[in-house]
Formats: sequence, structure tokens, C-alpha cells
Amino acid sequence: MNKTALRMEDSHAGSVCILSIGGRIDSANAADLLDRLNGLFSSGEKTILLDFKEVLYLTSAAFRVLLVVTDEAERNEARVVLCGLAGQARELFEMGGLLEAFTVHGSREDALGRL
Amino acid sequence: MSRPPGLLYSVDETPPRAVLIAAGLQQAALMSTSLLYPIILGREAHLSPDRLLDFVSVSMLSLAIATLLLCTKSRFIGSGYLCPGGCSQLYLGPSVSAAHIGGLPLVFGMTVVTGILQTAIAPVLRRVRFLLPPEIAGLVIAVVGLFMAVLGVRYSLSEATSSTVMSEDLAIAAVSLTTMVILNVWTKGFLRMFCLLLGVAVGYGASAAFGILDFSTGMPSQGLPLLRLPSLELLQWRFDASLIAPFAIIAIAGILNLTANVSYAQRINDADWVRPNFSSLSRGLLANGIAMVVSATIGSMGINTYSSSVGLSAATGVTSRSLAYVISIVFALLSLMPAAAALITTIPAPVVGAAFFFAAAFVFASGIQAITARLLDSRKIIVIGFSFAMAMLPNTSQDLLAHAPGLFHPILESGLVLGTVSAVLLNLLMRIGVRQRVTMKLEPGHVDRETIEQFLSEQGGRWGARRDIISRAIFGVVQVLEVVDHGSEVEASFDEFNLDIRIRYAGTPLLIPDRRPTPREIVASEDGERLLAGYLLRQTADRVNCKASGGGTVEVQLHYDH
Repeated sequence: MNKTALRMEDSHAGSVCILSIGGRIDSANAADLLDRLNGLFSSGEKTILLDFKEVLYLTSAAFRVLLVVTDEAERNEARVVLCGLAGQARELFEMGGLLEAFTVHGSREDALGRL
Repeated sequence: MSRPPGLLYSVDETPPRAVLIAAGLQQAALMSTSLLYPIILGREAHLSPDRLLDFVSVSMLSLAIATLLLCTKSRFIGSGYLCPGGCSQLYLGPSVSAAHIGGLPLVFGMTVVTGILQTAIAPVLRRVRFLLPPEIAGLVIAVVGLFMAVLGVRYSLSEATSSTVMSEDLAIAAVSLTTMVILNVWTKGFLRMFCLLLGVAVGYGASAAFGILDFSTGMPSQGLPLLRLPSLELLQWRFDASLIAPFAIIAIAGILNLTANVSYAQRINDADWVRPNFSSLSRGLLANGIAMVVSATIGSMGINTYSSSVGLSAATGVTSRSLAYVISIVFALLSLMPAAAALITTIPAPVVGAAFFFAAAFVFASGIQAITARLLDSRKIIVIGFSFAMAMLPNTSQDLLAHAPGLFHPILESGLVLGTVSAVLLNLLMRIGVRQRVTMKLEPGHVDRETIEQFLSEQGGRWGARRDIISRAIFGVVQVLEVVDHGSEVEASFDEFNLDIRIRYAGTPLLIPDRRPTPREIVASEDGERLLAGYLLRQTADRVNCKASGGGTVEVQLHYDH
């Protein structure tokens, strides 16, 4: 498997659903991320923590999906929180001025402590 | 430029007077370990105890002058950073060879030649940068660090004549080194700042406790005056054409060493550091060349920026240029005190060993960082790996090298010189066949990200491009291709300072907005997503341009400073 291909794995910590994401997120796989998140909300998850620790980079298509999902979650009294942003992925959030558009915590432990 | 965490005093800040003096003394204490090289050289030249003290005193004076020249900040000369000058082990091997052939006058003469060569290269340093890429400078600095560590171990054991004495020496070195490490890692403020000085003091205390502190060994039989101008009895110059080649190579090794040290000093002052400031490097090299000429003119050996000092300033967070004045004054005064030179010749070897070993860790790590910051393809790996092995050869295969023609001995006797020669030559050889401009044709209507990533990563490795720049370029290409209609070609061109990407496609020009689209605009339509794509490209590339050319073809130009 290509190491830059999108990888997603969900787990739980109490009532928080953690979706660990790895690889790159772009127009080729942004729809997969959207489907996975919609699936989790449909199954009744109210708080989803997206762990970006392993994400290499994300393009405008991925940002759009994240914004769409965050809007959708707010409308359904759920929430999406981001953590583990590092390296180029974090740079892109910063350079794109998009950090303030999301709830972002440092590490996964830090995020779980606040949720 | 942003302030790195852990930096207590930046290069332009002046610490309070007490800190300034104590930190300057600490640097001077560390730099005095570099006086071991003139001591070794003087002994190889069979100097009497009197003349040896003069040689050490003059070397102190040349450290004072060199430090002032190297650290000064002006339009014409000086790196502008705290890169004090030390007697350099780079020059030790060839200088010992020269001393064997023609005594110290030949060492002085050839050192003048080396200095003139460095002075001549200084104005064109930027133009010859392809000969001296950062990973080779990193290699040189890593090898210097490694040899410093080895030298540290040797000095920790050098007094060993029996198992009992060895255990005492080891104990002194261990106590001294442990003190330095504990203070550096687990304390803050003054204790961390002066970890090396305190470690040396503890080492002196331990040496006294073990009864191996003997101040009488370096004393001339007739005693020492309190103040005395060093005798210039040694002062003569000789030249030998057969030594020009090895000393010219040393001059290049010296340039690499200076490049690495000044770059390191720049980096520890700037968290956003990505590439060396060449003006500072050129002025530093000019200062170094002149310092070499001055040093040899007054009767001392070759000088270079002292890696341990830059390592110490990184370890303590005190990088203020003001320290250079304190260091220079201290060494200028000490050069007039024969007792100081005598004290240097009697400093307990295990204490020197501990200081070398401690500073070596920071020097070595800095070299490794400089090497690994670049993408390494097979060519670079061969240059680095082979040269590293060559650097180790003189230490491991002395018998083999003894059979080489005498002309090559000055090069073959020093691992540092041999490693540098190997790296410079292999680097030139490996440039054969590396195209600086490459083009990749794309399948219509299909963006194969893996192929693009592989193409740019492999090419970046061949060029020795920085990983972070290649990662940004990969993002840029993928981002462009996912929002344009029919990408047809990606072209990448590179030199040491620029990476330029051109992406050609059929369709309408991409908008590159100055203003970030709002989250609402991004979510509202795919046009919003395209605007975000253009905005991200503008933010991640150092320059971006999109223009329509003939036949409905559009070209996006992405420029990245390297």
C-alpha cells in the first residue's frame, strides 16, 4: 500500500469517537472521508475527534469536506474537533488561515482531556 | 526571523555585565582547549619549554585577533555572529608535516598561503557554492564532532600508564563530564549557562583530590615573569611548492568548516532559518583568511571558527556577539602572562577530555542535522557515505596509508582532510548526468498523485533539494492539478537557491486571490474550493503566477526559494 494513500481508523474513548487519519487527503479521496464521517454521525456519534497526526498534507478539496462536515455537525447538535496537527498539514491550516474555522487541540490526550 | 525557544541572549542582545563576563570567560576556557594544537605542533617541532610557552602565548594573541575579526558585524568583514576563532585541528596534520620538513617557519609560510587563498575565495563564495553544498559542510562538521569526541576519550585516558592511573583519569573525566551534562540538561539559568566552566572547575577539584594536578611540568627552569611580551624568536617564514596542494585542500576544508559553523550560529538565532546568509558567510570567510595571515605573520598556526564554541552557545543559549569582545580582551591579556600559557600546558588531560567530549555532542548533532535536512538520493548517499568512511580510514588503516607516496601524506594522515577531499571530488563526479531541468508528461484527464510524488521526490534527491521545499512543491502540483481541467505537463528546474515548477494545462486560468475565501464561500460551491486552492498556492509558494499562452494552454508557475 502506498504510504501516502488515505488511511482511516476509528476507535472510542468514552463517548468520544476518534477517527485517526493518515496519508494525504485530496480530491481523489475527500469523498471517502465525507462518507466515513457521515456514516459515523448516522450511527449516532455526537463528538468526533479527528486525529491528524499521520496526515501528510491536505488540499482545498479536503478543507471543503471538513468545513461541510463541521457545518453539518453544528446543525445536528454534534461536533467535530481536530487534534494532532503537525508538519506540513499544520502549515497548510495556518497558511490558509483556517485554524480558526475549526476547534483544534494539540495532542489527542490534550483533546480528550478537554472534551 | 523568529526567536527559537531556549535562546537566552540572541546575537544582537547584550547580556548584563556579570553574565557577559562569566559567559565570555566560559567561552575562553573552552577555546583554550584549542591551544592544545599549537602545543602538539610545538612539541613536534621540538621547541624548548621557553619557546613552547612563547608559541602558546602568540597563539592566544592570534585567537584574540581572529575572534574579533570573525565575530564583528560590518559591511566589509566579519560574520556578525558569535563564531570565535580557535586554533584548528584541520591544519594540524599538514602543519605537523610542514614542521617535520622545514620547522615552524615552513608552517607559518604555508599558513599565510592558505589564508591568502581563503581571502581570495571569499568574494566569489556564492559562485562556487555548488562545490560546497550544505550536506558536505554537514559531513565535515559531523566528522569534526566525531574526532573531537575521540580526542576527548584519548585525553581522558592519555595519562594512563597503569590500570590504577587509568581509573583515576577516567574518574576525573567522568565527574567533570557528568557535572556538565547534569547542569546542561536538568538545570536552568546560570547553572545551565556555565555548565562547561563549572564542569572544568569540578574536574580541576577532582584532579587535585587525586593528586595529579602538577603545575611545575610546564615551567621553564628559570621561572616565569608576571608579564612579558612573547618572544618573536620563532618568527621566520619559508615556503615549499610541494606543500601548496595539501594546504590548498585544507583551505577548502576550512571554508566548509566555517560555512557549517557560521550557518549553525545563524540557525540557533532564528527558528525560521532555512538557508545560509551568504553575505555573512563571505564576510566571515574574508575575516578568517585575514586572521590566518595575521596569525602566521605573528608566529602561530591556522585558525578557524571553533565548532565547540558555537556548540557551547547552542547548549547554553548565550549567543551574544558582545561575548567576542570579552573573549578577545581575555586572550590579549593572557598572551602577556607567561603563567597563563604554562597553566594551559598543565591543564589536566581528563578535564580537557571531558570538555571536548561534551562539546562534541552538539557539534556532531549539528552536522547530522545539516546532512539530513536534504533529500538524499544514491549520488548524495555515495558522496556522504564514502567520504565518511574515508574520514575514518587514517585512524583505522594506518599501515595501508603508510605505503602511499610521500606527497600524499599530508592529506592521508588527517581523516578530516581525507574526508573533505573525498567529499569535494565525489560531489563533482556525481554531478555528471544530473539534469537541472526535468519534464513529466501527464495522462489527459488523470492525476496520478503517486507518480507526481515519486517524480518530484526522486528528482529532489538527485538535486539534493531540501525535504520541506520538495514537500511544498508536491502539494503545489497536486493542488493545481486537482482543480484544473486537463493537466498535460509538469516541468521542474532547480539550482541551489531556486526550485521552479511550471504546470501546463488546457483550460481557463486559475484565480490566485490575495484574500482568503471565507468558510461560507468555500462551502457554498466548487468555485469557492478553487478560490481556496489559489489562495493556498499563493501562501505556500514564494511566488506564484498563472498566465494563458497561445492555443488555449495555461501555465501555472510556482517558485520556491531554496
